[in-house]
Amino acid sequence: MASSQNANKKDSKTAAEAKPEQAVTEQKPAALEEDDEFEDFPVDDWEAEETEAAGGSGATQHLWEESWDDDDTSDDFSTQLKEELKKVEASKKR
Amino acid sequence: MEFSAPFFNEFAETWSRQDGYRLARTLSPEIPTEQLRKIYMSQNAHEIRNTLKRGLQGNAALVGGIEHAEVQGWVEVYAAYWNATGVILAARESSGDDSRASQLTWTKVYEAWTELLNLLLRGYQNAGFEAWTIPCLYVVSKNLRTFAIMADEERNSKNPIDDSAAANLQDDFDPETNKHQKLEDCARVLGRVFTLCQADRAPIEESRKWGSYYIANLLLKTYFKLNSASLSKHILNSLRAGRGDMPDFSAFPKSQQVTFKYHQGVLAFLEENYGEAEEHLTDAWNLCHKNAMRNKELILTYLIPCHLITSHTLPTEKLLEPYPRLQKLFLPLCRCIKRGELHKFDLALQEGEDEFVKRRIYLTLERGRDIALRNLLRKVFIARGFEEAKEGEKPVRRSRVPVAEFAAAISLGSQEKIDNDEVECLLANMIYKGHMKGYISRQHGIVVLSKSGAFPGTRV
Repeated sequence: MASSQNANKKDSKTAAEAKPEQAVTEQKPAALEEDDEFEDFPVDDWEAEETEAAGGSGATQHLWEESWDDDDTSDDFSTQLKEELKKVEASKKR
Repeated sequence: MEFSAPFFNEFAETWSRQDGYRLARTLSPEIPTEQLRKIYMSQNAHEIRNTLKRGLQGNAALVGGIEHAEVQGWVEVYAAYWNATGVILAARESSGDDSRASQLTWTKVYEAWTELLNLLLRGYQNAGFEAWTIPCLYVVSKNLRTFAIMADEERNSKNPIDDSAAANLQDDFDPETNKHQKLEDCARVLGRVFTLCQADRAPIEESRKWGSYYIANLLLKTYFKLNSASLSKHILNSLRAGRGDMPDFSAFPKSQQVTFKYHQGVLAFLEENYGEAEEHLTDAWNLCHKNAMRNKELILTYLIPCHLITSHTLPTEKLLEPYPRLQKLFLPLCRCIKRGELHKFDLALQEGEDEFVKRRIYLTLERGRDIALRNLLRKVFIARGFEEAKEGEKPVRRSRVPVAEFAAAISLGSQEKIDNDEVECLLANMIYKGHMKGYISRQHGIVVLSKSGAFPGTRV
């Protein structure tokens, strides 16, 4: 214990990084059954470069798309719909 | 760390550096059992206070500047910690031990730990504990919550609530209340910690206000687990009211910012303030650590339904790629919305109902049906093509659509025939909600759509 204490002092930064991890492993057996809870981050703070927003410039623009799709007209459903509409039109003309 | 020379040196060291996080580690229960045993075995109940007093005082002289009352405060805190280590040790060792099966060992841990937190609170209130030491409050508060949950679980598993017994009790007996007994108690204690931080009037650099968001996050997590949105609101209001005297939000560690924004967003979401929810959740998303996959997944679980409502946008496959769970949850619905497959949308919603309800997103997703319907009607409109173009003019879409065509489209896929009144009702609703521009001519059985933007915001 005393020697590890000295090691801590010599390099308190490494110790600071190692300890939370150790704590996490120790906690695991007590894992909660419902884990839909927002998790504790393993570190307290981080640089802007490590945020999600920084992950590749402009990436955020490709995350969302419009809810309709004009290109996708050859799928089964579109074909079926066109046939159905033709039927309705034909019955009207009669 | 057992209470001997290295511990007292560590205490003095953190003191001279005013390193609160390092000090807080001396109060952590999240250490290997072997280490816990060493701490507990290093002292006994008779000697602990004297040992601590001598050790801390001796070193305090070294550092200087630590008041007698403050030393006394820490002696009490560490004595309570020592006592708790013994109880935790017993709890860890008794798991799997049948002879002690009837004992609620984690309840005892919870009680011992509550005592520790109370003494710590008293230190700030009466013994002049300084604000740089608040990480101690974080560690002790966080673990109080963990122990409360473990105590509740242990009690619930050992005394499952007997249905016949419950039936004999009064009508207003709610087994759910009892289920979270310790966690509810914990919420009350944490509420006091929050007030202790929030109400500090010291100048901002040395104020416990810096602890407000950490403790607020713990409380929000607790209230979420207890299913109490109203208590959560109380915390948000209190923070809003005190904002003027608080450090700027961006000055807090990102872990605290993201956690807070997530809960704030989900609360707005549950109140159906989707615009506000989207704002908070987007902030949380942008600031989140890029490797925190589970938390990013949770943020998206609510951000995706928000987008559907506020801007009628869907997640791209690229966005969902790293999250198989979200793909399973949302992809079928998204596909149906995009194609306008109304019937399949209903089936997909039914299919995922349990999961959606559990995540509290069912009602929001249900509103996606409007978008699916909009896309379906839009497809009918496009399929009808253009009027015969006059020379030199841009082609104009055929804007008079028979109700019967819309009806055929709506019932496509399902076996049920839907009657005309109902179709007209759906169409009228679409027009009312601004998804479609035009009017219904009942006399002619047609819908006359606007020539300039029949489906606003969708380029036709």
